[in-house]
Amino acid sequence: MNQIFLVLKREYVTRVKKKSFLLATLLTPLILPSIIFVIFYFGTKDKTSDLDDIIVVDQSGYFTDAFTESGYAFDYMTGTLDEAKDSMKEKEAFGLIFIPPIDLEDKSKTSYEGFAFYSKTNPSFRVLQDFEKTISARLEEVKLEKSGLDQEVLASLDARVSLASFNLTDAGEESKSNAGLSYAIGYGTGFLIYIFIFVYGSQIMQSVLDEKTSRIVEVIVSSVRPFQLMMGKVLGVGAVGFTQLLIWIVLIGGLSTIGISILGAGSEQVMEAMAQGQNVDLTQSQEMAAQMQELLATIPVGKILFSFLFYFLGAYFLYGALYAAVGSAVDSIQDAQQFMLPIVLPILAAIMSMFFVLEDPNGGLAVTLSMIPFTSPIIMMARIPFGVPAWEIAVSMLLLVVGFVGTIWIAGRIYRIGILMYGVKVNWKTIAKWFTMKV
Amino acid sequence: MNILEAHNVSKNYAEHRALNDVSISIPKQSIFGLLGPNGAGKTTLIRIINQIIMCDEGNILINGENLNPSHVKIIGYLPEERGLYKKMKVGEQLMYLAQLKGLSSSEARGRIKHWLDKLALTEWAGKKVEDLSKGMAQKIQFIATVIHEPKLLILDEPFSGFDPVNANLIKDEILELREKGATIIFSTHRMESVEQLCENIAMIHKSEKILDGTKKEIKDSYRSDKYNVQYKGEISALSADFQVLETKKLEDDFSEATIQSKAGLNPNDLLRELINKTEVHSFVELIPSINDIFISIVEGGKKS
Repeated sequence: MNQIFLVLKREYVTRVKKKSFLLATLLTPLILPSIIFVIFYFGTKDKTSDLDDIIVVDQSGYFTDAFTESGYAFDYMTGTLDEAKDSMKEKEAFGLIFIPPIDLEDKSKTSYEGFAFYSKTNPSFRVLQDFEKTISARLEEVKLEKSGLDQEVLASLDARVSLASFNLTDAGEESKSNAGLSYAIGYGTGFLIYIFIFVYGSQIMQSVLDEKTSRIVEVIVSSVRPFQLMMGKVLGVGAVGFTQLLIWIVLIGGLSTIGISILGAGSEQVMEAMAQGQNVDLTQSQEMAAQMQELLATIPVGKILFSFLFYFLGAYFLYGALYAAVGSAVDSIQDAQQFMLPIVLPILAAIMSMFFVLEDPNGGLAVTLSMIPFTSPIIMMARIPFGVPAWEIAVSMLLLVVGFVGTIWIAGRIYRIGILMYGVKVNWKTIAKWFTMKV
Repeated sequence: MNILEAHNVSKNYAEHRALNDVSISIPKQSIFGLLGPNGAGKTTLIRIINQIIMCDEGNILINGENLNPSHVKIIGYLPEERGLYKKMKVGEQLMYLAQLKGLSSSEARGRIKHWLDKLALTEWAGKKVEDLSKGMAQKIQFIATVIHEPKLLILDEPFSGFDPVNANLIKDEILELREKGATIIFSTHRMESVEQLCENIAMIHKSEKILDGTKKEIKDSYRSDKYNVQYKGEISALSADFQVLETKKLEDDFSEATIQSKAGLNPNDLLRELINKTEVHSFVELIPSINDIFISIVEGGKKS
């Protein structure tokens, strides 16, 4: 045990002392919100300072001052299309909306043609849609007026509905639920596990490989059992990841608290939510922020945090051991590629099915994948915010423990032989042989 | 008292028997040569002693006890494939390796200082291994092997990686450690390199021990009663006890001859015979080197 601790300590200390670790740990929580802030800023900023000119040629006469899209200055004129095109060139306008003469007297006619938008560069799909909407809304309005219907009556006919959703537990308690937030948390935590497996898994592999190529491994295993060495490594690198995660949680938590108190506005909180990978509609950010605060109180934070840490560690052990085994089997990182596929495949499968799981968190696919130890950490984390029966979580966790004990055992058997093999051409058959070999 | 006894040790790899029924005894405070060509099974035996792998059959006793994990602390092992953490500082590295061998950090600190002083490396303690010259790294490697004052020092091909200056330095350190009570096992395929150092020898060939004993016993038993003689003039007919195997003309009137003496006669008998026949300038008994003995055993084995 003491030996494992010594190995763990070395792995931990040498990594944590590295400048790159310090930078990544301190900057990532700053970079992510910064990027989001930049997107947020430019995405919502009114382009008042730099308006694009758009010429509107209205031959119908219905569209005087009808366009209000932000970011554009509309210049209305009459005349022919060719004249308008010339003036567009002259004024260096961004675009030209052409509205043909329209006959609105024919009541049976519901679609109109001949409208056109001219521009030097391709307009975005959204801009076109916005103009289309404005044009049809205006035409509908005119048609309504002509039909003699009372605007007020019409307005009073509106009936908008929003469905509030609640979770009803067996005990009869009900709590407000929010599918969007659950989606965001499920996606965020699942994705974080996915990233950590890759980043820290390859660190384990690199570390094993370094010991093998520097030939120090035989010196080490004359004092430490190979299994102890492997476990010390997996635990040490894991502890580094865990430290990083904790620092991030503290930093992001701290930064957003400071942010909220300084800016007062809810926007900072949205950024924090975004920083955690949550899916927030930017254009409604202010409104969302207020709701978010309310909603955060409704999610079972403790339960999610506990399961996250459990699945995080479980996934890490399960895959970390396999990465160690691959590192021990090869002489260079290039040779490792062929053995990476079976490790990477289930992770990729999990992250790709996550989208389906988030759509249908209690479907057959979701339940199955959240039981298989190779995919359960990502998939179960995606499901938990939506509510999963306790027994399912218990079974999944138990299977995960069985799973990582199994992979550690298998990896240990490959590792103890692999680390002492130099210059051997390794394929699946040799690995199987090592596995069955008596030491 | 033997510090190490291996009894009938065998080890199989998948399709290959790496050791077959090997037994050796190593007396305390001796220098023991484990000899044999590459691939003979030396490293396998050493790895078994270091508990890196386990033997399939047989057992190993250290100071009369069955091999167990506590013995790791009294063994110092310099593997043939060796190295250090390149990115780690010398001092930290030695501390880590010493602690793995069970030393407390305060104990280790004192010894690291002592050894770095002794090998004039103190100012390098804070440097990374990758910044060291190869010779310095070799010395660090040696310190790491002996830092926990092992009772049994196992050196696999010890001089192959060392330059001649360091090799001599290390040789002196090894002899000093022996004076202080350590037992040393040299494993090598370059038999001439350790011949003068070893008192006891075991030879391994194709997974089997083919010979062991003290160096003197072995050499004595392989004396072939051949002599090399340089003389002036001619050797006329010798008595039937002696046979001239070959002669070679040297400059002037000098010649050289290899003479086979009848077993049981001593060198003086030949000398007496020669003095009457010719003018003897040089007279040397041809004692086989360990390497010669090895070759003659292996070739003899082939014939039978």
